[in-house]
Amino acid sequence: MTPIRRLGGWAVRVGCVVTVFLTAQPPNRLSAQDSQFGIRGLGTPGKWESVRARTTGGAFAPFDPFSPMTDAPLADARRMSASMASGTSWRSIDASGSTAALRATRFPALVIAGPVTSRIVVGGGFATYLDRTFGVIVHDTIDLRGQPQAVTDQITNDGAVSDVRLAVAARLGKRLALGLGLHRLTGSSRIVATRTFADTVNYRTSTARDEVAYGGTGGSASLLFDVTRDIRLGGWFRSDSKLRANIGGVTKAENDLPITYGTGVQWRAGAQATLAGTVTWRSWSSAGDSSAHDTFNWSFGAEVGRPSAPFRFGVRGGDMPFGYGKAPSEVGYSAGLGRQFSGGRGRLDIGIERLDRSGTGLKERVWTFLLGLTVRP
Amino acid sequence: MTRRLAYLLLLVAAACAEQSTAPGNCPNFCPGGSIDVHDTIFTAIIERDSTFRGYVQGFHAQAMAVVNVPGIVESRAIIATDTMIRRVAPKVGDTTTVPISIDSTRVKFVIVRRPKNTTNVRLFLYALPLTVDSTSDFASLDPAFSAPAVDSMNVSALLALPAIGDTQTVRLWGDSIRTDSAGHVLQIHATDSTLSVFFNLDTLQAPFSVPDTGRLAFGVRVTADSLASIALGTTAAVGNGPVVRFFYHYTIPDTVSATPDSVKYLDRTVATRFDGFVFNPATPPNDSNLAVGGVPSARSLLRVALPAFLHDSIDVVRATLILAPVGAVQGSVSDSFPMRALPLLADIGAKSPLSPNTTLFASTVIHIGSSDTVRVELTNLVRAWSLDTNLVTSFELVQAPEAASYTEIRFYSSRATALRPALQVTYVKRFRFGEP
Repeated sequence: MTPIRRLGGWAVRVGCVVTVFLTAQPPNRLSAQDSQFGIRGLGTPGKWESVRARTTGGAFAPFDPFSPMTDAPLADARRMSASMASGTSWRSIDASGSTAALRATRFPALVIAGPVTSRIVVGGGFATYLDRTFGVIVHDTIDLRGQPQAVTDQITNDGAVSDVRLAVAARLGKRLALGLGLHRLTGSSRIVATRTFADTVNYRTSTARDEVAYGGTGGSASLLFDVTRDIRLGGWFRSDSKLRANIGGVTKAENDLPITYGTGVQWRAGAQATLAGTVTWRSWSSAGDSSAHDTFNWSFGAEVGRPSAPFRFGVRGGDMPFGYGKAPSEVGYSAGLGRQFSGGRGRLDIGIERLDRSGTGLKERVWTFLLGLTVRP
Repeated sequence: MTRRLAYLLLLVAAACAEQSTAPGNCPNFCPGGSIDVHDTIFTAIIERDSTFRGYVQGFHAQAMAVVNVPGIVESRAIIATDTMIRRVAPKVGDTTTVPISIDSTRVKFVIVRRPKNTTNVRLFLYALPLTVDSTSDFASLDPAFSAPAVDSMNVSALLALPAIGDTQTVRLWGDSIRTDSAGHVLQIHATDSTLSVFFNLDTLQAPFSVPDTGRLAFGVRVTADSLASIALGTTAAVGNGPVVRFFYHYTIPDTVSATPDSVKYLDRTVATRFDGFVFNPATPPNDSNLAVGGVPSARSLLRVALPAFLHDSIDVVRATLILAPVGAVQGSVSDSFPMRALPLLADIGAKSPLSPNTTLFASTVIHIGSSDTVRVELTNLVRAWSLDTNLVTSFELVQAPEAASYTEIRFYSSRATALRPALQVTYVKRFRFGEP
């Protein structure tokens, strides 16, 4: 059997359509999870996870070939495959008594991978590095020409920094897989700043808009080691250059990006149960002012049931990088189902995730409906 | 499976409507940049300002000011009619003509502006010499106005009378009318608040002079208990001009002896040859100040040296022209007038063409008796200048309507250092995009 079999069938058509659709989308649509905590910083870090990994709290991400978090698992993609994830979020905010309900639909990850030799797999795709979509409305009264003037400011930012990855993974032996990745950080955000005066007779609305382009590069390396047939260890490291923000070709800002490293363990507890846990550190404090914090995140999750129709659940916790005062915390619970179809050539994953974020002066609660599609022609 | 997938996709599609804007909790959860508003009075931004006079003459104006404010100003309307036929051909195809006999004359004026709270407004109609024309002035016509009036009408009293709206009246007049015992008629226009007033004159009041080819000339004065000031429409204002109509008859000579001669009654409207107004004191000549209004009309051309930073990196939200009057405009309070700021297409001095872009026009009202600082909101104009560097940064101050009133305002020009025109600009500095 050749790694790439015939082209045809329902799954292939769906996969092709999904791939074309997603790659044709502007980068800002490839965002992940918005948060008010990212407004004062560089943004909200994306979750580099497939729907399968995300419904296990992210614990399966270092071992999942379709999660863009690490490169080494690509070695397990023994056939040409593509996977995409989408998420629809309903977010409620409580900022010192001021509440709001927000919603958004995002396509946070796309991975395409396939073997080039029996030991080497090449993959790539998009993921969200930083989400920068938000909108803020502020009501104020200013003194203008000796008179108090009621004004309303609205600043909206629609965009993201996307991580375009080209990765290669190789199985160096029966127990060891190594992955290396090159990352191009790209994307843009459209910013509109509007000030509206209550006195519309004398004062005109001021609207300024611009588009900020982001750029940067990075590299990643990861390792998977099978301690036994049922226990797999993973480790990963990633470093990125400065993130440049350009307007009209002129660099307006440069910010350091964090070094990321982490480790995880996966245990196959029988034919119908798999458990995993991870820890991750990121040095976000170098990326901004006093509102930027280093982060530590953990996750634990499990997948039970038949491989063709598993049930997954997980929990995650840790810090968020940007927030006033001490680092905001995030706790998440997730669960989901997977279902193979077309004789295993396709897999549909659905899930639900609940996130509770808490920081000084702000609480966020997020419900996210996750939908993932993986096709193996 | 397909149905479930369809449900899921529908659910996702239904949630696709974005809502990402929330009340800001600043400064902790707001963007680093802020929308900064600045307000600056540019005191030396107006330069090379000039006044030019003669754009519109009084006899070209859309209205004739009729004012009587003792000790301050008196203005009188004057009109002259064109020739009237003296003979008519009674039969079609017959070259024989017969003389006409004038029975009466009706003179109509339209009051386009009047003080609503002034009582006992009376119009006086005077016969003027037929030589009245654009060279006539207040002094030369004063003897005619000193003679007894041909007729007079109490407008306030007519307005207080009940309207006559019977079918026959409406058929003849087109609308209800008010009339007094002297035969004066007043009609209120349905579409606006203008008044049409009609003087009915007999042949003694308006004698028909064959040597003068039937020409007539009239003058109008106004009195009131206070603030006597009205404006009469002119021929330049379509439909509101003075109308003189002769009612006449002639006899058709009967060539058949069996039947008596028959009399034909007709009427004829004659064209208004000239209309205008004279007032005292006359508009003073130009000086070093900026003048707007008067007769002939004066305009002031102001040139703005817009700073470079107002052309880019800012957003103008309000711009106000500040003008210091030399003194209060004297006259009747109801003679307050609009003053417009009109942008130029090109700056070539007095004959600079005005921009047809009405969205850039600005206007303010000049109040009689007030010497307060005059402010004109030029926001749209300055915003346009800020965005388009090809636009001419000059504008003219123009009275509206021009030359229709004795009123004129004068402002200190850029030659008066302390009181020169200034431009107050409120602007928003460019938002600091790209910085977290």
